[in-house]
Amino acid sequence: MKINEVPQDGNILEKSGEVRDVCYAVDENGEYKQVISVGWEPKNEAISYAWSLIEEECESIKKDVKAGNKSPLAYHIHRNVMTPEILASYTGFTKREIKRWCKPKHFFKLDSEKLGKIAHVLKMDIEQLVSVD
Amino acid sequence: MQLDFKHKPSGHCENGVVSNLLGFYGIDISEAMVFGLGSGLFFAHMPFIKMHDMAVTSFRPLPGAIFSRVVSLLGIKMKRYKFRDKEKSMGALDRVLLSGTPVGMLVGVYNLPYFPKEYRFHFNAHNICVIGKEGDIYTVSDPVVVDKCTLTYEELKTVRFAKGTYTPNGRMYHITDISHKRDINYEIIRKSILLNCSRMTKIPIPMFGVNGIRFLARRMKRWEKSMGKKKAALNLAQVIRMNEEIGTGGAGFRFIYAAFLQEASILMNIPELRRFSEEMTEAGDMWRDFSYNAARMFKKRDGDTISYEILSEKLMMIADKEELIFKNLEKLMKNAG
Repeated sequence: MKINEVPQDGNILEKSGEVRDVCYAVDENGEYKQVISVGWEPKNEAISYAWSLIEEECESIKKDVKAGNKSPLAYHIHRNVMTPEILASYTGFTKREIKRWCKPKHFFKLDSEKLGKIAHVLKMDIEQLVSVD
Repeated sequence: MQLDFKHKPSGHCENGVVSNLLGFYGIDISEAMVFGLGSGLFFAHMPFIKMHDMAVTSFRPLPGAIFSRVVSLLGIKMKRYKFRDKEKSMGALDRVLLSGTPVGMLVGVYNLPYFPKEYRFHFNAHNICVIGKEGDIYTVSDPVVVDKCTLTYEELKTVRFAKGTYTPNGRMYHITDISHKRDINYEIIRKSILLNCSRMTKIPIPMFGVNGIRFLARRMKRWEKSMGKKKAALNLAQVIRMNEEIGTGGAGFRFIYAAFLQEASILMNIPELRRFSEEMTEAGDMWRDFSYNAARMFKKRDGDTISYEILSEKLMMIADKEELIFKNLEKLMKNAG
């Protein structure tokens, strides 16, 4: 890659803070130099694609929640790119408990202490945790 | 308390932390040289390790490997820690830091506040260096950030104990003694190149090195059949992200290694290494071409001829190219001994 070929497609990095890509590219004499880049379109697309699938899945879980088949927790786990296993290790509950609470009939029996613990890890308050809107 | 630490951003987080850490002790060594001495170029496709329910594709050795290798080659002593208890890990950090020592550590990026939201997946092998503390605010040198940045006590604690695949468990490391330091010499560089050649071409398990690239290529052809269009494209997106992600890059690694070979050519006085640097640049360009074409899969319209077969073919060609480079490089280095 030559220095003038270093991509500067700033869709994601440019708009947020100071995180950047440092690329190595050759100058006109063939010497390697560091060049700071704000991103590359194919990579931005890969990231957006992964997020679009997560959104899609979230919408479908939302429907299940509204139909009473899943609890809001199932939705929030997915929205935060988590799995019951990861949420379990962050909260200290067991994976089995988390999975059980993904069902509405168990979830809505939770006391505010347990809800608070989960909400804290997911960085939201309890009102947000018990709804999907 | 702020250490007099010079922060330089870098292409890969671990190289960057090592290069910056050594710089603190007056040892001036470029990121590319760290990467080369650490025999950092690698490839692994491991279907048995999952992240976000997808096979892990990695373009580098295990986190920490580059650092260990470089310090041992240079005769520098270091100490590593791993913790169960969160508070203890923060106490240990403070003690070392207050003694005037910068501390490198492994963190998860999911909860890193200065990372763009889009980049925050449960990726747990990011390296940063803690270089100061005022009240409960830590000053951090993160190689993927242009300037120094900060994290609160709570934020740092959370990212040091991130959960998911390969949990960091508060892992941290620092340099303890440089009194027996050796300079970089001909033999050290030669050995590091040989080790990298052997890692890329000689591991007798199909998941690693150039064989690992072929392994991924063969599996990729079947993705659409075995997991459906959507999941296949998601797996492809994962490979591109691992290939190009800030601080972890794959194509980028080829260019860093090429920069290292260029430096090595001068230090060892072997002009031929420069030709290998050019070859390695070509391999990097091929990886970029792969990513570019792979991204076409996400918005594929009728008439676009891109397919997993074509992508797989491209990977096969990359594997052939890299195998040839490393086999010839090995010959050159063996004869130069």
